Amino acid sequence: MKSLLHNTVTKKNTNKYGQFDQLNGNHPLKEFVPEAYVEYQARQKKSGKVYYFNFALAKQLGLISEDHPEKMNAEIEKKILETFNIVIINEYDNIHNIKHPPETIKENTYMATRYLQLQHPSKQGKTSGDGRSVWNGQVTHHGVTWDISSCGTGATRLSPASAKMHKFFKTGDPSISYGCGCSEKDEGVSSSLFSEVMYLNGIRTERVLAIIEHKNGLAINVRAHPNLIRPSHFFAPLKQNNYEYLKKMYDYYVTRQRENGFWSDYPKDEIEGYEYFLRKIANVFATMVAQFEDEYIFCWLDWDGDNILMDGSIIDYGSVRQFGLFHHEYRYDDVERYSTSITEQKIKAKYLIQTFVQMTDFLKNQTKRPIKIFEHHHVLKEFEKIFEYQKDKNLLYKIGFNNSQVSLLLNKHRKIVRDFRQSFSYFERIKSIKGIKKVADGINWSAIFCMRDILREYPQIMQFRNGFLTSDEFIEIIKSSYATKKDLVLNSYRKQMIHVFQEKYMQMVDMVAAEVNKSGKNILCEVTMRSSVINKYDRITGDAVTIIVDKILSLKQGPDEIYKIMHDFLYFQNHDPSKIKQLERHKIKNTKGVKNLLEIVRSYREGI
Amino acid sequence: MRLVFYGGGDEEENISLNHALIKLVKSSNPVITYIPACSYDADIEFSYFARHFKKFHISRMINFPVDIPFTDILLKEVLKSDIIYLGGGNTFYFLKTLKDVGLIPKLKKYALEGGILSGLSAGAIIMTPNVKTASFPSFDCDLNEEKVTNFRSMNLVDFEFFPHYKNSIRYEDELKRYSNKINRPLYACPDGCGIILDQDKISFIGKNYCFYKGKKILLKAA
Repeated sequence: MKSLLHNTVTKKNTNKYGQFDQLNGNHPLKEFVPEAYVEYQARQKKSGKVYYFNFALAKQLGLISEDHPEKMNAEIEKKILETFNIVIINEYDNIHNIKHPPETIKENTYMATRYLQLQHPSKQGKTSGDGRSVWNGQVTHHGVTWDISSCGTGATRLSPASAKMHKFFKTGDPSISYGCGCSEKDEGVSSSLFSEVMYLNGIRTERVLAIIEHKNGLAINVRAHPNLIRPSHFFAPLKQNNYEYLKKMYDYYVTRQRENGFWSDYPKDEIEGYEYFLRKIANVFATMVAQFEDEYIFCWLDWDGDNILMDGSIIDYGSVRQFGLFHHEYRYDDVERYSTSITEQKIKAKYLIQTFVQMTDFLKNQTKRPIKIFEHHHVLKEFEKIFEYQKDKNLLYKIGFNNSQVSLLLNKHRKIVRDFRQSFSYFERIKSIKGIKKVADGINWSAIFCMRDILREYPQIMQFRNGFLTSDEFIEIIKSSYATKKDLVLNSYRKQMIHVFQEKYMQMVDMVAAEVNKSGKNILCEVTMRSSVINKYDRITGDAVTIIVDKILSLKQGPDEIYKIMHDFLYFQNHDPSKIKQLERHKIKNTKGVKNLLEIVRSYREGI
Repeated sequence: MRLVFYGGGDEEENISLNHALIKLVKSSNPVITYIPACSYDADIEFSYFARHFKKFHISRMINFPVDIPFTDILLKEVLKSDIIYLGGGNTFYFLKTLKDVGLIPKLKKYALEGGILSGLSAGAIIMTPNVKTASFPSFDCDLNEEKVTNFRSMNLVDFEFFPHYKNSIRYEDELKRYSNKINRPLYACPDGCGIILDQDKISFIGKNYCFYKGKKILLKAA
């Protein structure tokens, strides 16, 4: 297959902001998979101004130079608006013969991609896809090609509203909300803030490049990722039994992964290639779903593979949350139905892998067989194995062991790790006696123990203790504000689990100490240092994001100030001890504005 | 009493003072507790702090933010530490927090009973009779967002302390003016400089100054 990099501007562009010119609607997917998109003409919008521009990300994409000041100027603002402040000329415009000044019409067309979405009646992806987004194009920098798309660029024929009501909508039609083709500024700010916190902490995600502000709280939100293909992009042709379309989609995806250097060892043999693909995807999804569980990230996964990218990156922060405690009974209320819960994400992820098995079988044999016959496929067993391994690994990392200590414990003392995890999970999953309650956007049955607190405090205390904490002391540390007196009653099983927790924890410390010939107290000091970062008291939650977004939106400030406050806020959101040295210590001031946001994070630290 | 006052600066700038601090310790396996002025970036500051003191072969350390809930279990260990180090930050916020959680008398008792108490910038000011020096000069002062009106602090020494001192006319004028209003010495220490009080003996590290009754005196370093 030929290269996907054909539209990259390779010659040296003398214009300071010339790299933006690549984002002109051209994208190789158009050429390689014509079935995968609907094409729209677009026009330049007159109104609109830059609300936010992610300078750090723009540098990563090579859109601006590394030494570009993180401040807006007239020239870059003009360029951002020229590039992203567009609206499509859609079916409604054409049917109603709406004329636009020719000089406002962009030279190239833009694509809205097709993918499967379960909320569409056909359930086959024939009508679904980017309902309010188009792809601006791709940019390549330092050997990585990024896709850029914009949300809020007008109503496409692929929205659920068009499919259900069998009509085309005018962009901005107030009679229909999700289907009018618009996006809101708060969505952009929320996605930007949340995704940058995730990115900082090693969670794969789309990122927000820019927010173009319009009247009435509307906005165009521009996002970037090295490959914006979702599982649902494959599942549409799969459901339609369209081999040609699926094969082209597959080849396109693999070529991009290879060219980006992510899958440089992809085999030449076609059949081996499918096996490679399945192993990679199973690994990605098992790792991702274990990470989501352990970081308490709620991301509504379902069989259509719409809310996630192929590399497990979060896309679309509409229903994404991060919990402060393991609120594993929370369900998002999507009017027609409740979402999956955080623990059910694994089941859905596994089913996605099963669908990929069916898909590669279809690609091999050109005949689609029922999905059920693949339920015992070896890749699904591999998925389970990786998931369990990652769960153990994530917990050891959360305790505060370093990479070599984690490897040692996983390779030589797995049984102790497992026993510890069992006691840890026991406390993590205990729920309030109050039962299920309605919350702002769904239902929840609150967890009552904050495991971050015990992981942070325990190694500190054990530097000085010769014996274990008493059960009362242990409960005193882990209890959250959700716990009532009745929740905290100590029965014999709970006491036993407190003992197991401490016994296995200290056994692991001793194993590590023996291996590196240091004292247990010494290891506890190292663990304390790392754990105080990983399990810091404050942790952003979905509730906190909602309030912080309102706070940011209430600021009457320009893009430089908005960027600065978000940038400074992020300094305090790092949970990765290895990144401490990279943080701009002494440069970040805990200003009143930032402090206000941090206070919100603190207030909602145990929430959903 | 054994007290160490740091004028400010980072770990590398304070290496001589840190040496002097460690020299005060009698135990062979000492414990240091770090009390940050504010918990928001306490993990970052503790990371630097702990990494630095590991170089002195200290292998037991506690990070003890006081503006978030803490248990008596950890507090008991804190008050048994060989050294308690009060971090830098906003002096008013730090003082208010320490008062709110009832730690001022406990830390005072700790110091009077032989514990080594040290403080950097805001942490050092808090060991003196009051925190008025945090409120001037106008071009380099802490914002009193907490609206603290009672400036009285630990009162462990009979001098006042001005951190981050820069040897310039505008600082000098401000400090001379203030020293005329008080009846005790005002020690001004630049970043990387500071004071060691070991029982009755006071010594200085770096180029420190004393302002007294409108006069400025350069202090001889140890």
